[in-house]
Amino acid sequence: MSSAEATPPARAAHAPLLSRPTAYLGAMLAIALLPLVFTDAYWRTNLIICAINVMLAIGLDFVLGYAGQLNLGQSAFYGLGAYVSTLLIMRLGVPFWIAFAGAVAFSGLAGIALSLFATRLRGHYLAIASLGFAVITYQILLNWISLTEGPLGIYAIPPPPAFALSGMATIDFGDLAHLFYLVAGFALLSYFLLDQLIRSPIGETLTAIREDEVSAASLGINAAAWKVFAFGVGSAVAGAAGCFYPGFVGTLVPDAFFVTESFTILAMVVVGGMGTLIGPVWGAILLTVLPELLRGIGDLRLVVYGVALTLVVLFMPGGIAQAARLALGRLRRATEAPR
Amino acid sequence: MTAALATDPAAVAPQAAVLLHAKGLHKSFGGVHAVRDISLAVPAGAIFAVIGPNGAGKSTLLNLLSGIYRPDAGSLVFGGMDLTGLPAHRRVRHGIARTFQKIRLFRQLSALDNIVAGFHIHSTLAPWQYVVHGPAFRRNHAHCRAEAARLLAFMGLETRAHAAAGSLSYGEQRMLEIARALATAPRLLMVDEPAAGLNAAEVETLLDRLQMLRRLGLTILVVEHNMDLVMKVADRVLVIDYGQHLFEGAPAQVQTHAGVIAAYLGGETR
Repeated sequence: MSSAEATPPARAAHAPLLSRPTAYLGAMLAIALLPLVFTDAYWRTNLIICAINVMLAIGLDFVLGYAGQLNLGQSAFYGLGAYVSTLLIMRLGVPFWIAFAGAVAFSGLAGIALSLFATRLRGHYLAIASLGFAVITYQILLNWISLTEGPLGIYAIPPPPAFALSGMATIDFGDLAHLFYLVAGFALLSYFLLDQLIRSPIGETLTAIREDEVSAASLGINAAAWKVFAFGVGSAVAGAAGCFYPGFVGTLVPDAFFVTESFTILAMVVVGGMGTLIGPVWGAILLTVLPELLRGIGDLRLVVYGVALTLVVLFMPGGIAQAARLALGRLRRATEAPR
Repeated sequence: MTAALATDPAAVAPQAAVLLHAKGLHKSFGGVHAVRDISLAVPAGAIFAVIGPNGAGKSTLLNLLSGIYRPDAGSLVFGGMDLTGLPAHRRVRHGIARTFQKIRLFRQLSALDNIVAGFHIHSTLAPWQYVVHGPAFRRNHAHCRAEAARLLAFMGLETRAHAAAGSLSYGEQRMLEIARALATAPRLLMVDEPAAGLNAAEVETLLDRLQMLRRLGLTILVVEHNMDLVMKVADRVLVIDYGQHLFEGAPAQVQTHAGVIAAYLGGETR
């Protein structure tokens, strides 16, 4: 009796603050306003890095938070997207957007290939295999000098080509604000696509696999195939993020895709909250901006960063998303109580 | 050698009323012969019970039937189709569903969502609808949830729809597992010790639901320890011991069979 009555309010506490269309409109508005608020090149650069990291984090969250597969190869898929697109543009003269499509496809296929080989591995073993993939990819980028220029790097990479808005104005991606709109737009698009997938039966299927593979199989779910699908999607999103990096920095060196990048992305997902899509967005923003704010204290910032990460894992395992949900629930109860 | 056994149509054809026909199933783990040469024929529309002492190989047998394990030898024909080499998730599509002795619900998901996950194998949604949610998507979404709510109500869990599966009582979790298995629209439901850990009232409810499902045309295979339950609902009983076939017959015969009493009932005569 009491349990039946207690259920509806408990559910209301979990209801999101904003409806989806409102939230998307709000996000668009925020994206539009951010470069107007942050007008210096330094902060606009950070805004673009935030947008790239958001894509990397939500791509990993799809694999880790929903399908439950601990993938430490995200830095490699990011790097493959960056190198494949840049080489296509610089060596073969392929137009940016065709190179973009090619690089996204290549990264996605690399993710599919990795998961096909690793399909029998779970947990720590999959983590080690995907970490190995990240190390190997980094070493190839570093040592295949005839193709990638190795540690010397590729220079003078142009930003994505400008396009003219039918007579009105030209959008020039050499302008950091315009480039931010482009990358943030793709981050929002990636979010939308992943969110749609997650709210469809695919999301329920992946969650079932995460919770219990044997049980999922007893419901007719082919866990191996769906894990491959999740890897393909997650790595394609990372590849898309990688396409924007070289044209923005102007140079491309393998060190940007060292395996520690995988752990940074993992930290963004964990701090933000695995298994929610909005959490890793906040995690990516926080872990991009926080180190910049702490730059003034020198190497001590790494200590602060480490302590903050440890505190989150110890006291708020659901990350920012869980904290927000708890706070929202408390707020609602507080406002409902005096009736 | 399994193929030779499997493609023997003469063995299946004369018994049209048999839904599940297993022949010479064998499974060993290292040196342990968990299942040795077990054959069984589950009649369509019946409640078929598999009993045996602890460690007799009942769960291994169920894992062979559901496809979690691959048999070392033997064949499996279901509804006239050879399913021997098929993995578990493919067998579900042909209409074999199961529950687990050690409950395996999606503990973090709500009771309703546990069941909803079972509907998707029969989904006819066009792939692009997973990204662009159109009217067909919304219809499917509403349909799955309504059907899931119906199954919850059937198993007496309608008030628990939004509770996390892990937070349900033991008995409720067992009922929820059955509801989830039913979501796959099976022809054969295999339940592994459904009464374990249930109180007397819950066992009554379980009995009632199993009989109701049989009346609806479902074939049920039940692996059980609770002899009262087996005697009440089973049409046919298979007794196994040390992984081997010991006896098969009507429930009344089982109670009087000397070998069964010696091996299984022992001094515990009821």
